[in-house]
Amino acid sequence: MIMKGGPYLLCYNGSACFEAMSIRYIKEPQLVDPVMIASWPGIGNVGLIAVDTLRRSTRAEQLAYIEPQEFFYPNKVIIRGGELVELGFPSSEFFFHRNDRHDLIFFAGEEQPAEGGGVYAAGSRAYALANLVLDAAQKFGCRRIYTSGAAVAPIHHTARSRVWAVPNSADLLQEFKQYANTVLMSDIEGRGGEGNITGLNGLLLGIARRRGLEAVCIMGEIPVYLQGFPFPYPKGSKSVLEVLAAALGMWIDLDIINQLAEQSESELSSLYEKLPHEIKDQLDRLKKATVAAPESSEAITDEDKKKILDDIDKFFKREGGGEQH
Amino acid sequence: MSREEVFRLHGQHALEKPVLIVAWEEDASNLGVRTVDYLIEGLGCREFGEILPEGFFPMAGVNVVDDVAQFPQSKFYISDERNLVIFRSNIPRIGWQGFLNAVLDVAGHDCGVKEIYTLGAMISSAAHTVPRLLISIVNQKEMKEELAPFNIMTGTDYETPPGQKPTLSSYLSWLARQRNIRAVNLWVPAPFYLVSLDDPRACKRLVYFFNSKFDLGVDFSKLDEQIAQQNNKIAGLFERLPELEAFVRRLETGDGLDGEESEKLTREMSEALKQG
Repeated sequence: MIMKGGPYLLCYNGSACFEAMSIRYIKEPQLVDPVMIASWPGIGNVGLIAVDTLRRSTRAEQLAYIEPQEFFYPNKVIIRGGELVELGFPSSEFFFHRNDRHDLIFFAGEEQPAEGGGVYAAGSRAYALANLVLDAAQKFGCRRIYTSGAAVAPIHHTARSRVWAVPNSADLLQEFKQYANTVLMSDIEGRGGEGNITGLNGLLLGIARRRGLEAVCIMGEIPVYLQGFPFPYPKGSKSVLEVLAAALGMWIDLDIINQLAEQSESELSSLYEKLPHEIKDQLDRLKKATVAAPESSEAITDEDKKKILDDIDKFFKREGGGEQH
Repeated sequence: MSREEVFRLHGQHALEKPVLIVAWEEDASNLGVRTVDYLIEGLGCREFGEILPEGFFPMAGVNVVDDVAQFPQSKFYISDERNLVIFRSNIPRIGWQGFLNAVLDVAGHDCGVKEIYTLGAMISSAAHTVPRLLISIVNQKEMKEELAPFNIMTGTDYETPPGQKPTLSSYLSWLARQRNIRAVNLWVPAPFYLVSLDDPRACKRLVYFFNSKFDLGVDFSKLDEQIAQQNNKIAGLFERLPELEAFVRRLETGDGLDGEESEKLTREMSEALKQG
């Protein structure tokens, strides 16, 4: 989002500024029983790719945007002929689409409002942004919010990603149990129904609960060894889209996400072939890791996971691979 | 938060449409802070106020640098005589817009500043011996003509590459424009092998500019002394390791160094110049 000017906000820190924080509405349509689907960048951009694919396939129209300046550090400067022409900020935009069963509102954030150099939302600004997103949801009568992200799991990249569903109310558990390829926290080995969801995906669930709104975070699995790399993981996004289609009762064109997932798997497989045998052997063990057999002798232990990650890390440092360089 | 909770100002001033110079810590070659420290000391500037750290820096302990515990500081200094305001600060970690608005409030509302100059170094592959360029980015086009007589590059084109962020100086300049305050970001290329060391030549380039433009009457003798000391140390290093001199000569002619050569030059320079 490029800001060319406009009035400045005279404010010094969060508490003073939040009064000036606002949503700018471009349209004010009457929507029928809408649901909101929100996404931000995260591990493998699993949620962002899923929601973006759905938004584009429905040709959703722009609805509103959140003024970025109080939440974000600029992400772009344009200098022409020695003059500072424009300064850009990460965008936080709403879109809408009229649909048969539920109208849809999409929220797409280009960054999470992190504090202290982190990637995931934290602190008073994150709280304020999450509240603004829910303000927009309630303004149009949304009763349910979906957030979406990645679930880091001991799976192999050739495996189908499952979807972890975490609702903010026990009333929703039955509904999500019935969707194919979907698991609850209590289904995940060794978790006992417990876990945490970092960043805005989690925060939005909590604040929605305080407001009495239904909210569910649906997370596509990403292999544990890919979590630290800046690769997108559309295979996880595809699984998320399938669950969204079921939950929304709508048909979603999966052609584009299928292509992305195939391309990604092919690229990962070619990278995989370059791995030393000892690392590949470790990773191949993940092909046998399943939720159904946690007690199996072939199951991956925490120690195994640590060793795999250490080996992978060492390999990429030695090879100079990875975009982080 | 009220003004009093964000910044504190001490006493009165007799400034009339002064110029504000802004320097950030954590700059390559410590260029900004070395430059303003020279001006503060040389011109006898006095402390005028500060922006308080709460809300702009995580209050989660302290960093220790060179055996000493540090704490963020964001201070204003003024010289009534030279009609000059200096802001010397650590880079805030959070609440950037609020912080920069506080700087602009003190500058514009409390001091009546008419122009802002921010200082910074950009890492360069040029040798330390070549004459230093001074590059300007203005927030109002007409300022370019005013800077032209001072041998400054004023025609830069740039867009933030993916994955990088604009500098805080750009952000300040952009916010200043919204308040109709003129601002210039000044950049001096700093040789890559001096990035973690002082670069008195770059410092002199900036001080020279301010002295010429605002007739400050700066005494350059201490800076010249620092440059001479650095020259002597580098000469001693070249005598001991002649290949390093060859590396620098190659940089002077625009020939690059490979990774190993660059690393060696940086390491040896660092060891030689850090010795007392």
